[in-house]
Amino acid sequence: MRNKNLWKKSIVLGMTLTMILFLAACGADNTKEPKDGKSSQSGDGAQTEENTDPYGAYEETVTCTLGRQTLQNPKIPEGDSYENNAYTDWVEKRFNVDLTNAFEANDGEDYERQVSLAIASEELPDMMIVGRATLEELVEDDLVEDLTSSYDNYATDYIKGIYDSYDGRCLDSATFDGKLMAIPSTNPDSAPSQIWIRQDWLDKLEIKLDEDGNAAITREELEMVAKAFLEKDPGESGNPVGISFTYDMNGSETLEMQAISASFGAFQKQWFQKEDGTVYNGSTTPEMKKTLEYMNQLFKDGILDPQFGTRTWDDITALMTNGQTGIIFGAWHIPDWLLSNVKSMDQNAAFTAFALEDDKGKVNVFHNNPAANYVVVRKGYEHPELAIKIVNLFHDERVTSKTLKDDAPEVYEYEQLGVDGSVRPLRIEVNSNVSLLNDYGAIVQCVNGDITIDEVPTLEAKNIVGCVQRYNEDPNTTDVIDWARYHSRMKGIQLIQDLTDYDSLVWVSPLYLGTTKTMKNKSANLDKLEAETFIKMIIGEESTDQFDSFVEQWNAQGGAAICEELAEKAQ
Amino acid sequence: MKKKNALKIRRRHSELSYHAMMLPGMIFLLIFSYIPMFGLWMAFQEYAPAKGILGSPWVGLMHFKYMSTLPDIGLLVRNTVVIALGKIVIGTVMAILFAILLNEVKNKLLKKSVQTIVYLPHFLSWVVLASVVVNFFNLDGSVNQMLGTLGMEKINFLGSNQLFQPLLIGTDVWKEFGYNSIVYLAAITAIDPGLHEAAAIDGASWRKRVWHITLPGMMPIILLMAAMNLSSILSAGFDQVYNLYSPMVYETGDILDTYVYRMGLISRQYSFGTAVGLLKSVIGMVLMVSSNGLAKKFTDRKIF
Repeated sequence: MRNKNLWKKSIVLGMTLTMILFLAACGADNTKEPKDGKSSQSGDGAQTEENTDPYGAYEETVTCTLGRQTLQNPKIPEGDSYENNAYTDWVEKRFNVDLTNAFEANDGEDYERQVSLAIASEELPDMMIVGRATLEELVEDDLVEDLTSSYDNYATDYIKGIYDSYDGRCLDSATFDGKLMAIPSTNPDSAPSQIWIRQDWLDKLEIKLDEDGNAAITREELEMVAKAFLEKDPGESGNPVGISFTYDMNGSETLEMQAISASFGAFQKQWFQKEDGTVYNGSTTPEMKKTLEYMNQLFKDGILDPQFGTRTWDDITALMTNGQTGIIFGAWHIPDWLLSNVKSMDQNAAFTAFALEDDKGKVNVFHNNPAANYVVVRKGYEHPELAIKIVNLFHDERVTSKTLKDDAPEVYEYEQLGVDGSVRPLRIEVNSNVSLLNDYGAIVQCVNGDITIDEVPTLEAKNIVGCVQRYNEDPNTTDVIDWARYHSRMKGIQLIQDLTDYDSLVWVSPLYLGTTKTMKNKSANLDKLEAETFIKMIIGEESTDQFDSFVEQWNAQGGAAICEELAEKAQ
Repeated sequence: MKKKNALKIRRRHSELSYHAMMLPGMIFLLIFSYIPMFGLWMAFQEYAPAKGILGSPWVGLMHFKYMSTLPDIGLLVRNTVVIALGKIVIGTVMAILFAILLNEVKNKLLKKSVQTIVYLPHFLSWVVLASVVVNFFNLDGSVNQMLGTLGMEKINFLGSNQLFQPLLIGTDVWKEFGYNSIVYLAAITAIDPGLHEAAAIDGASWRKRVWHITLPGMMPIILLMAAMNLSSILSAGFDQVYNLYSPMVYETGDILDTYVYRMGLISRQYSFGTAVGLLKSVIGMVLMVSSNGLAKKFTDRKIF
């Protein structure tokens, strides 16, 4: 009898388990259906009747799920997280919303994978950041909300003014059939890729660079410094490395060879149109071949890291913080988030930024894609205008408000602390096309006492004035933020200003036309071919004489087809 | 009669309780292994998530044809098979050898502790182990420092197309041989000790006894494991390769799984990814069934 009871119990238990499983599975589906149905009805009518206050709070708490791009080592006060911090609190209280993260993933491949999974499982977060290719796919599949009326009705004049500074190029890239399907992140021109060299090491070895004073150094000077650093080991690491690059080969300006290729007039991975209308890729030009030959020479001379080809970003960060390398390639803003690691480890660290000039003493740069990333809103989300409101809050009020200190003290404190911008709910930047040099001009004027702090246009610029002043008082400061802001502006942007003043910059305009059909199918393959071939040529495993056959292969494997498609699109 | 019936019922009852215990597992198997098989449909479609499985256009064998035109397909298959075969063959031999040797250890404490120590790496994921391997084998790593003190030239193991495959196979064998040896140890203990005693009395040396008693006794298990492993010949270990490779060693290190990952998930070509996965499973199954046939033909032992 006992046995009978036992197996009865087990069966009941088993069946209960099964039921729970099935209920759980069904439950998830059931809740989804009515929500979607309801939202599509309320979407159009309601929002035009309601007031269109750009900062209006909702009467009932609105929920919003986000896909979040995170950084590996973001600066966040202890106890705060990407999901709960002063920025998210600000949005939640201000608009009466409840923000939750559908997923968090590191910027780059990890985040791309999360977005892919979200699309594949048809569970898009209400808002997320995507790249151009993903945006096109989402629009084609009708998965994202039309934001045209939300933008027209809710965006503040200040925000509209910023987008207008791009002559429509920025919004156009998010516009499909006349409908604005996403909010683009602006991307003002910030080139060239700069070479950051340890000034304290240069002083120690008594090396003088850029004697002609045009803010740009020659390739010979670069080699000379690298050799000196290798031989004399000013970082006293015992194991110095000359110049180190990651194996990514994306053509990015940071920790890649962009500055060197630009000095030969090559622009890796950028598409260009010739006068006759045909399109070519910068990776396939004779200039690229020259770059690879030069890089190969650097490798043979030991100036380029002997482990080039297997170095990851983290490896190189370790090299610079260990004092093994003192020559770092990157954009003007790397002191703020990358070189600051060096200062944290070595109080004496100081950097100077240089551009790399070509044989004629000029610096070659290309115009940025005016839109880098996009905020998309899930199709059927009840409050698409919330995305615009968040943009207003962060890129108008936070930046321009004179009373932020009293209105939102926690947010003000975050700005003072230099908390990473990636912890804001929507990780985009909205800056006017000329903001970089304009803001910088105001900072310099204010530091020199020509204008008062109130005349400095944005909150960020005001904070930087404080940092620069504190740094000027005590250049040996232990405050990493002051150090970083001083370097990124007074060295990084100053370099751009100098190059602009000396008229040294030679600008080219790549084509930015999004993806094409062949690009979608073949680009993973082409990327592989390019990265593999370039690395092998640089480390001498393959001769650079093979470059022509690389170009042939590249064309045969879909490159030529993509060029044709782009030429057609460009007409 | 009555007694017999009662016995029967009782036995059935006790069996039923075992079946009930299996039920959750079976349901999991159904949900996670059988239902997803319908997704294979995607391999013959141009799948777009928004249109769903029913709405996406049918393209027939297009993805399979495209696969055969890929310039790298030969290289990918070669790398995958070489790495997987290396792991299977060397891994199996090592595990058998280790099991036989460990079985000879008479000190219980020593035996148990050695066993536990060699199992340990199996429970660490490749994400963690990869950084350990990198620290050992990069140019500044301990292996190269050892080579340096011996006056030999430094070797970039992780960037060398000649050494990358041996490195993958070697580290995988190191990680798994202990755990894999469990089955073989069990097989050895199942051999009748009487056989050994008889052979010993007849004057057979230890080596002879291993060759003529232990190994033949283990044969069914060895065959079973080999056939099961053969089905995974096109899976060379995604997580290991992914965490260790770089474009420099694509030539010898890029395998089907990493390629499909880059193509399928990062460039979002779901259908293509599915097609490659399906082909892999089909080849795996054919290999398993045919190895079973061969096993039957040559040794008269069958697995299923």
